[in-house]
Amino acid sequence: MMSLYATRRRRDVIIRVLCVAAAGFGLMWLTLILFTLLWNGLAGLHLSVFTQMTPPPGSKTGGLANAIVGSLVMTVIGVGIGAPLGLFAGTYLAEYGRHEKLSFYVRFINDILLSAPSIVIGLFIYSAVVVPMGGFSALAGSLALAVIVTPVVVRTTEDMLRLVPDQVREAAAALGLPRSLVIRRIAYRAARTGLITGILLATARVAGETAPLLFTALSNQFWSLSLSQPMANLPVTINNFVQSPYEYWRQLAWTGALLITLAVLALNIVARLLGAERKTK
Amino acid sequence: MTDLALMTAPSPAPVATRAKIETKNLDFYYGATRALNNISLQLAPNTVTAFIGPSGCGKSTLLRVFNRMYDLYPGQRAEGEVLLDGKNILVPGLDLNLLRARIGMVFQKPTPFPMTIYENIAFGIKLYENLSRSELDGRVEHALRGAALWNEVKDKLDASGLSLSGGQQQRLCIARTVAIQPEVILFDEPCSALDPISTAKVEELLDELKAKYTIAIVTHNMQQAARVSEFTAFMYLGELVEFAQTTRIFTAPEKRQTQDYITGRFG
Repeated sequence: MMSLYATRRRRDVIIRVLCVAAAGFGLMWLTLILFTLLWNGLAGLHLSVFTQMTPPPGSKTGGLANAIVGSLVMTVIGVGIGAPLGLFAGTYLAEYGRHEKLSFYVRFINDILLSAPSIVIGLFIYSAVVVPMGGFSALAGSLALAVIVTPVVVRTTEDMLRLVPDQVREAAAALGLPRSLVIRRIAYRAARTGLITGILLATARVAGETAPLLFTALSNQFWSLSLSQPMANLPVTINNFVQSPYEYWRQLAWTGALLITLAVLALNIVARLLGAERKTK
Repeated sequence: MTDLALMTAPSPAPVATRAKIETKNLDFYYGATRALNNISLQLAPNTVTAFIGPSGCGKSTLLRVFNRMYDLYPGQRAEGEVLLDGKNILVPGLDLNLLRARIGMVFQKPTPFPMTIYENIAFGIKLYENLSRSELDGRVEHALRGAALWNEVKDKLDASGLSLSGGQQQRLCIARTVAIQPEVILFDEPCSALDPISTAKVEELLDELKAKYTIAIVTHNMQQAARVSEFTAFMYLGELVEFAQTTRIFTAPEKRQTQDYITGRFG
């Protein structure tokens, strides 16, 4: 009896140590990455990074202004296209199509899309948009990002709407509310922070995507806001600069990586805060 | 045509004995499973009718037929007739939203909407009527008074409906139902999640509400059925075993099964 108890206690200790060690191991890499980024990136973080264009080879001045703005533009357009699509599709899955056979297939395909390598999506947009349009463009880049955003938002929207208890829907229906109002005024409202969180996380996901932009928006050394032209963006610029022999380019690549990471971190923190707010309500 | 007729209630002055709701040979199915078997009964206007019976006997199912709540789910269907003021509400093509505006429902678990206390009430009213702000204020106050909640919430109408206690939330749900002025109110175990004090308040409320509304209540609490209702229906395994005046059911039931159930000797 006592030996049984002692064995159980020993097992408990072993499992606990393993869990803590695994968590610490994961955390260590994250800390190392952040630390390396800060160490290497902060050195190049001047105001000129935000005001000057990406420099030509060999130059000792220049910044990332066109790449930062380009990333913002394409991310906003990508999320602007992908988020509404995802919201509508997720609403269909969780509300109108809940008992439909079609939902099963849509959900299955969405899950595949969710885990599709982003380079495949880049290639798809390359052959579907870039080739017919006759060249790389910011529009193609935005579309590639939209294709990545959509399945993420579909999934979070469906999950969040399903968390709204059916009893609340029944109560709304019992007042004589038509289906569309039950969804818009009650279900969306109850799930609002969750829905916003999903969109923020999808934004964070695409903010640092490189592969889908390589074949679509390419990059641009100059300032351009034209959607039909190649557009500078942080990930591809980092990709190009980091492989170069020029010291200054490599420094800019580190700083750009730091900026993306901080942006993603900020988005995640906002998403977390929103989530926490929902729990306390 | 039927919709229009339903909309333009009130119906011609009913004879005192005329039923508000009447079911005729009602069967109900969850997929292939029959949950109600040949139910025929009448709910008299301005009375409280209680439905009692062990879990799974079909009493909640019956309640959900009266406002066709089952229509939200595929595979559930009712056969037979359910007459509201003499008109069958099971006919296809009936406007369910208008039906549910006439037959309100209060659920077991309080379900305030994720909005302020004021909006919880005003929301339903605004669906059906175009009122000025002051008229709306008046209606909200009236509904909250009607649910004996006004004094507790009048200073925090802008607080979230979810911030109230369970008993207050349930009265908020009753106020919300009363606010759109239905003719019938269905209560599905409204007190089973409430403490005794909140329960007493809801029961008092039932007594006041029946002056204006026809009330059906499902309850597991037999004392509650005895306290609040004029008529009681005892159901078992999807059948209506006995339906009579409450005093009769609890003092001199005709059926052996009823006797066993109310005395706790069941099963």
